[in-house]
Amino acid sequence: MVASAGRRPGLSRRAQYGLFFGFVATVGAILVGLIMLILSLAAPSTYAAVRGVALDVTAPAAGALNEIATTATGLVSGAGNYWDAARQNARLKRQRDAMLHRMIEAKAITLENIELKRALSLRERERGTVAAGRVVGSSFSSPRRFAILSVGTRDGVAVGMPVRAADGLIGRVIEAGRFASRVLLVSDRANIVPARLVRGGIPVIATGRGDGTVDVRPLEVGRNPFRRGDIIVTSGTGGLYPPLWPIARIVRLDDDGAIARPLADPGQISFALVERPFEPEAIAEAARAGDAR
Amino acid sequence: MVRSALAPRGGGLARGPHRAALSIPAISVLLASFTAALPIVSLNGWWPDAGLLVLLAWRLLRADAFPAWVAAPLGLVHDLLTGSPVGLSMMLWPSFMLALDVVDRRTMWRDYWIEWLLAAIFLAIAEVAEWQVATWDGAELRFATVAPAIIVAIFSYPLAALLASRIDRWRLGR
Repeated sequence: MVASAGRRPGLSRRAQYGLFFGFVATVGAILVGLIMLILSLAAPSTYAAVRGVALDVTAPAAGALNEIATTATGLVSGAGNYWDAARQNARLKRQRDAMLHRMIEAKAITLENIELKRALSLRERERGTVAAGRVVGSSFSSPRRFAILSVGTRDGVAVGMPVRAADGLIGRVIEAGRFASRVLLVSDRANIVPARLVRGGIPVIATGRGDGTVDVRPLEVGRNPFRRGDIIVTSGTGGLYPPLWPIARIVRLDDDGAIARPLADPGQISFALVERPFEPEAIAEAARAGDAR
Repeated sequence: MVRSALAPRGGGLARGPHRAALSIPAISVLLASFTAALPIVSLNGWWPDAGLLVLLAWRLLRADAFPAWVAAPLGLVHDLLTGSPVGLSMMLWPSFMLALDVVDRRTMWRDYWIEWLLAAIFLAIAEVAEWQVATWDGAELRFATVAPAIIVAIFSYPLAALLASRIDRWRLGR
């Protein structure tokens, strides 16, 4: 087969000009693209408005399809629940009893905690959930790890707010459209979360690895403090993420740190909660950090 | 003997190109970019870039599927839909079109293997560029994290080529 190059204009002056101006237009477009790329790296907030609109365009489709996907998977897993129901029932009852004991213990500890805090006259700011949304999409063809959330500025979401699920931390909002927002996941390389080990409270830093896992390094160089199965939680340092949110569980040790798997899997959770930043000043900080991103 | 006059309407004669035949290639690339809106939540970004795959498939199938500059607005929309840095695809896609024009002048013969090889090269360039831009953007990933994405993209090219040739036959009414 001969290559279909043949847009040779021949002797027609008009065709020659057409090809030439097409070439000039293409080179011009490449240059414009280059300038826009440099702008979007140097000052990402330049495109905040137009990217917000693009988010709003894609989110409803994703949301509608998500319902269908959830229904389909729900049918399969729902049928599975009827299978072996008696044994499952017994196991769930045992679990519930164990949980009840733990819950009573936890309530007692909370009460004690409140009293101790009152004694120390610690003041904690009122915190609350801003909005609850579904994870309706992700950057599945890019090396960066973003998720799309079905809530936006209309629901009170702003850039820089931390996002969590029942299981643990998910990430933070980096772009907000009117009906949807983009979340920088914990597993993204650019997301650095100050954290600490639950066992011993050693301060660590969690950085994404881009493949769904998290790199964990101790702040102080020395003996590797990690063990397989350790849980890390946010430390509250930096003021963006509130303290004591679970982040990840250590799955593998390496030379001077460990690799952990986030506890909240964005593909599995049904709802994500957008919360206020721990320290209100942090949101301005995060906006500036977003510019440097 | 089958008489075409007795064939069902629209089956044999009187079938010309589709009314929007000229814009269908560009529209199909646009629709492929819209797959970014699918509710796929992946922990690793190994899925192929559907927009780029379909663009390359069209360009390798026909040199005149759309003018080279059309790749720039398509790339811009792709950037906005996928959330990658604005301007990345807008710069890459028309560059690929120009590069393929040069390749067309240089190669005498073309078969499926050469087309796949060309597509593989451009898909790899696109992934590496995306990785490099992510590095400049503050996400210094190891190169090993994008290698699977390149392999997946290369092996999904034949699918895009098949899609483009089917659409091409449909739009030309053949």
